[in-house]
Amino acid sequence: MRLSIFRFDPDRDKKPYMQDYEIELKPGDRMLLDVMMRLRIQDDSLAFRKSCREGVCGSDAMNINGRNGLACITPVGELREPVELRPLPNFPVIRDLVVDMTEFFQHYESIKPYLVNNDPPPAKERLQSPQDREKLDGLYECILCACCTSQCPSAWWNPDRFVGPAGLLQAYRFIIDSRDRATQERLDDLNDPYRLFRCRTIMNCTEVCPKGLAPSRAIEKIRLMMVKESL
Amino acid sequence: MKKSVTGLRAWLVQRISAVCMLLFIVFVLFHFLFDPPRSYVAWHGWVMSPGVSVATFVFFAALLMHAWVGIRDVVMDYVRPVALRFATLALLGLCLLAIAAWVGRILLMGRG
Repeated sequence: MRLSIFRFDPDRDKKPYMQDYEIELKPGDRMLLDVMMRLRIQDDSLAFRKSCREGVCGSDAMNINGRNGLACITPVGELREPVELRPLPNFPVIRDLVVDMTEFFQHYESIKPYLVNNDPPPAKERLQSPQDREKLDGLYECILCACCTSQCPSAWWNPDRFVGPAGLLQAYRFIIDSRDRATQERLDDLNDPYRLFRCRTIMNCTEVCPKGLAPSRAIEKIRLMMVKESL
Repeated sequence: MKKSVTGLRAWLVQRISAVCMLLFIVFVLFHFLFDPPRSYVAWHGWVMSPGVSVATFVFFAALLMHAWVGIRDVVMDYVRPVALRFATLALLGLCLLAIAAWVGRILLMGRG
């Protein structure tokens, strides 16, 4: 298998370059991450993140042949060669395929990703009806891999002020949660020309989400809730 | 929602103006398809009839508001220096107002 991988070590390189690799596939190589792990044995200077290796942690998000995805759940058999691997677009590169996600998590933090409920807690737990719980489907599964935000042109243009599809999907996950009491505050916080309304419904987020979620739909629902609130 | 309604308001203006324009375009297309004016005088009379001239004015008002939101979005994305952004938006606003005045003048003068 032939690969062309983005390389950049700020301590050593003046500018990034693409390095070609060739590696023989073995029967156990099912996913791209399997190949990359063996590649790193050949070249231990190659840097990339990984953890769970089964699409749960979101650490190995990268740009694979021009499209963001998780290396651990990308089957090698479906890839066009040479497989071009680059770091997530528009994120500052720390080294090779490792990017700085500070701003991404600052946006996530800004939407208050936790339940806000000052009512006296019940003896056991805050219960939800099955119908209310169902509303969280398609939202709670987000693993914050940043594939969507990194592929969103609106986030490329305003990375510092637009919350981005991942943050907005998470925002809607708490807005719609029946146990949360800060719905109005959450909507007010997003009603600004940049935080939510930079979204131009390009829908790259929904297209690339490796978990099959639809951040664009969540964004649309937040907008509709705002319209209802304003009437 | 006092903090900054511009996000939601601009978004709503863009969608409502798009619906207004679509309705007018469909209306005009149907008229020209099923009852086309046979002469300039007939066309002029149709355009200047009270209902159609009001609808035409609403169409252009929607078009200009739609253009304002759309171009403002592009300017917000690409023009970063505050002074240059302000100047660009002011120029855009003036151009759109001039077009609105021109449309109003045509519609009013045409009646006389």
